[in-house]
Amino acid sequence: MSPAAVAGTVAPPRAPSHAGGTRAAGVAYVAPAVFVLVLVGLLPFLWSIWVSFLNLAGSTRSGDFVGLANYQKLLSDTKLWAALGRTFLIMAVALPVQLVLGMLLALHFQAERPGKKLFVALLALPAVISPMVAGSMWRLMFDHRFGPVNQMISAFTEKPVVLLWVVKGSLPFWSIVVAEVWQWTPFMFIILLAAIANVDRDQMQAAALDGAHRRHVFWYVVLPAIRPVLIIAVLIRALDLFRLFDVVWQLTKGGPGNRTETISVYMYIQGFQGFQTSYVAAIVVVLAIVLSSVLMLALRRVRLDR
Amino acid sequence: MAIDIKTKVLGATALALTLAGGAQAQDQDAATRAIEAAREFSGSTITVVAEAGLQALLDKQITGPEFEERTGVKVEIVELPFEEIYPKQILEHQAGSGAYDLMLVAPAWLADTVENGAVVDLQPFIDKYGVPAEDEDINPAFRDYQFYDGKQYGMMVDGDVLVTYYRKDLFEDAEAAAAFKEQYGYDLAPPADYARFGDIACFLTERHAPDIYGAGVINTGYMFLMFSERFRVAGGKFFEPETMRATINDQTAVDVLTQMVEQNACMAPGIETWGFAENLSALNAGQIAMTISWPPLGRWSQGVNIDDEALSWVPPTTVADKVGYAINPGGHPELAVGFMSSVATNSDNKDAAYLYGQWMHSRAQSLKNVMRPVGLRDPFRISHYESPEYQALWPGAKDYLTVLNEGAAQGLADFAWIDTYRYQDAMSRAVIAAISGEDPKEALDALAAEWDALTDEIGVERQRAAYEAWAAKPSAYRDE
Amino acid sequence: MKLLRTTLWYAVSIAVCVVFLFPVYWMFAVSLKRPEEIFRSPPAWYPSDPQFGNFVVLFTDGDVWTIVNSLVLAGSSTLLAMAAGSLCAYGIVRFHTGGEHLATFLIAQRLLPPIAIVFPLFLVYAQFGLADTHGGMILLYTAFALPFVVWMARGFLMEVPLELEDSALVDGCTRFGVFWRIVLPIARNGLFATAVFAFIYSWNEFLFALVMTRNEVMTYTVQISNYFGPQSTFWAKISAMSVLGMIPVMLLVAAMQRYLVRGLSLGAVKG
Repeated sequence: MSPAAVAGTVAPPRAPSHAGGTRAAGVAYVAPAVFVLVLVGLLPFLWSIWVSFLNLAGSTRSGDFVGLANYQKLLSDTKLWAALGRTFLIMAVALPVQLVLGMLLALHFQAERPGKKLFVALLALPAVISPMVAGSMWRLMFDHRFGPVNQMISAFTEKPVVLLWVVKGSLPFWSIVVAEVWQWTPFMFIILLAAIANVDRDQMQAAALDGAHRRHVFWYVVLPAIRPVLIIAVLIRALDLFRLFDVVWQLTKGGPGNRTETISVYMYIQGFQGFQTSYVAAIVVVLAIVLSSVLMLALRRVRLDR
Repeated sequence: MAIDIKTKVLGATALALTLAGGAQAQDQDAATRAIEAAREFSGSTITVVAEAGLQALLDKQITGPEFEERTGVKVEIVELPFEEIYPKQILEHQAGSGAYDLMLVAPAWLADTVENGAVVDLQPFIDKYGVPAEDEDINPAFRDYQFYDGKQYGMMVDGDVLVTYYRKDLFEDAEAAAAFKEQYGYDLAPPADYARFGDIACFLTERHAPDIYGAGVINTGYMFLMFSERFRVAGGKFFEPETMRATINDQTAVDVLTQMVEQNACMAPGIETWGFAENLSALNAGQIAMTISWPPLGRWSQGVNIDDEALSWVPPTTVADKVGYAINPGGHPELAVGFMSSVATNSDNKDAAYLYGQWMHSRAQSLKNVMRPVGLRDPFRISHYESPEYQALWPGAKDYLTVLNEGAAQGLADFAWIDTYRYQDAMSRAVIAAISGEDPKEALDALAAEWDALTDEIGVERQRAAYEAWAAKPSAYRDE
Repeated sequence: MKLLRTTLWYAVSIAVCVVFLFPVYWMFAVSLKRPEEIFRSPPAWYPSDPQFGNFVVLFTDGDVWTIVNSLVLAGSSTLLAMAAGSLCAYGIVRFHTGGEHLATFLIAQRLLPPIAIVFPLFLVYAQFGLADTHGGMILLYTAFALPFVVWMARGFLMEVPLELEDSALVDGCTRFGVFWRIVLPIARNGLFATAVFAFIYSWNEFLFALVMTRNEVMTYTVQISNYFGPQSTFWAKISAMSVLGMIPVMLLVAAMQRYLVRGLSLGAVKG
């Protein structure tokens, strides 16, 4: 008998309701999903906690218990903290830009005009392309000889410009930011477009009739109304930026030197190229603690707001 | 020690052959024996690691299908980018996945690979299938590479050495030669040292740019190789042997790296982004007068054996017969990487895997491989250098082979101790950082700190023993 | 005045689209260029002689198998994630199973960077021979898609009127029958949109595939990354493979246009 069928017999047929009474029956429904997630999500994480107290690494695979040694190492690992700082820096630059551009686009496309749907669909495209392909795309765009970006800049400066986007100075950082903003501004746009469209039209019109300037309508009517959506969209993007890997991998592989290593790239290099099994596990545990505390706080605020 | 074992093997095999009464078997070369023996494993599959990109094209398109056709053993190729080859092979081994049958091991990684238990002693297979006579044929510069602790774990399939390529027409131009001598006080010729490499680059760039730049170099991949050659040629040492502190940030190192970075100024705009392919394209297109790279450039710039659709992205050569070959400045070129095949401990088809390796390694098949530009396999046998067929491939082929042979004989082995890969990776990152604008001294200080941390982690005593063993080889420092 | 504003609106709209679509155009253009034209500097703005040679090479080399692998992995995992996910969502919506804890557990799956999970998982997978197998990758992608599917499906299932279910139950339907015959058909469109997005996310995935696949089930994203190497950058193959990777997504988005806004935003917003 399938789990669902079991659930069907267990559930009291005449008392379906939103609350109470049938929780046990629901277990069968959620079981397959929870099983998969425990297997592939939770168990590896628990394993990480255990391993973070051992000294598994490369050819020295003794697996001895070393207590908090990995955590101590983590505290003094300047490259780790630099990677973490860099990840937040990319976030701090890219996220506001995505948000503002997305918002401007969403406001622009509030107008109902023929062809709007086509524009919106076209603009959504970057957000559904593989980030890995997007990274390759920008690598191609930024190629100093065969890519169009330098050529466009040259057209403005009227003399040939050779900018080594993925190599020189702070340019690698900016090329990552550009690729990120290009890909995820559309995501912000789509979400905000829907959110603004859902704002009570009457309220907006009433405000407009009262003589409020359009800017004021936006600040005092639209913005408060879409605030929960806004916060969640920012949260989602922040989490995605925090795990930034694909684009960086395609553009710079974390280089030159360690100059564009994000936390994910750093962990990849430590784990898969440096064999620092236990050490990476310790980083995983610390990240989990930090992230969950931040997220819990953020979610609590959203809930309180409602 | 290696010789010892080889004599023993030779004896044992001779005995075995005599016992088998195999007049026929004696005639057979290693390639034929490998093919015939592999038929026994027809229907099975072996998974072979190849470097992603050009190297893998050979196995994927040519040798893999041919082996399958002749033996019935299916050859599956796993492509790994260079920097993933060593770590992935070790990780798969540690996890016990048995994912690879035939591993690809650079000589510098052999000790680590063996210490990790990832590959097996080849002796039983050599006893069973080998033709030891063919061993004598391997260039001594590469022969020892195959051994670790007295046992053979690898079969050379690619013998690398960096080579200086220069445009004879530009170097022999009388007017230019006179002007050069006037300006620098010595003859315009393939550079004898790296300072002259820079002089010539600047001189020819000034003369011909933007059509032709004086030199092209590789700046984005394998950078630890480029730096460790120039560093050692300048007299640098990697460690202070007493304390095992890294000395790769001493004045010699800083000078060498500074010189590398400064010489870029005399090259094409964007030289900082050039990799192997960009450099090759530029040479073929006639845009650079001189470069340092791997041996395949010699075949490529001559346009020999290019019959592959997949290679259409390489610009056809415009410099055939114009390219001369020389040993690198300083006279001790890096034996840069090179590859061997090794049989994986966790393979469940070891015999077939070994036989593919033996076939690729054999005198007959390897000659075919090293005559193609695609696949990037380069001569490693005396018979390659002396092959009439090879020497007749193009007018300059004989010179080319001589330079490869002599360069290898004087070459500097890639550094190899414990966890070599991580030292390589750190060095490449530091060099690339300097090339892309970071202060060389700072980049090297950071590198030295990273190396010291690695050494401490591994254990100073352990690492010293490994380093001393490596440094004792004549090809480690080439001190006069 | 009105005409001016309309014109301005269209001008801005078109300009924005050009800016955002140019990189995509460029990838297409490069994929149609002859190899020697790809390596021309300054670059040509459009292929002078469009041809499909770069795509043909992918077929003759067999590289195109990686597209098939991606298709199989993304397709199968989407089906599984939809099955397990919509059941789970129904359990949450109707029975409040797990309450807060389950919701937290689901959110937590989205929380950690994939690198944190994939590292220990690789060691386990390799040990049990699951790395580079269809089964292993499908399981991984199913887990990867599940939190999203549950999240989305939950939103759509909540919209199904309770009265309909009640009356069906009164008529003697089993609970599963209600789910299967009443709830699913009503939420069909939304669930379909969910499936499309789940498919796209798996189709686009790179890091898991980079770590877990080698050969047998190598996905197209890993194949593209292999074209970048210290030896060479195979722009012809990179662009052609990227175009092959983008086309299914584009078609899906075009077909899903009606649900695009709703799909993306609902998944993100309803919580």
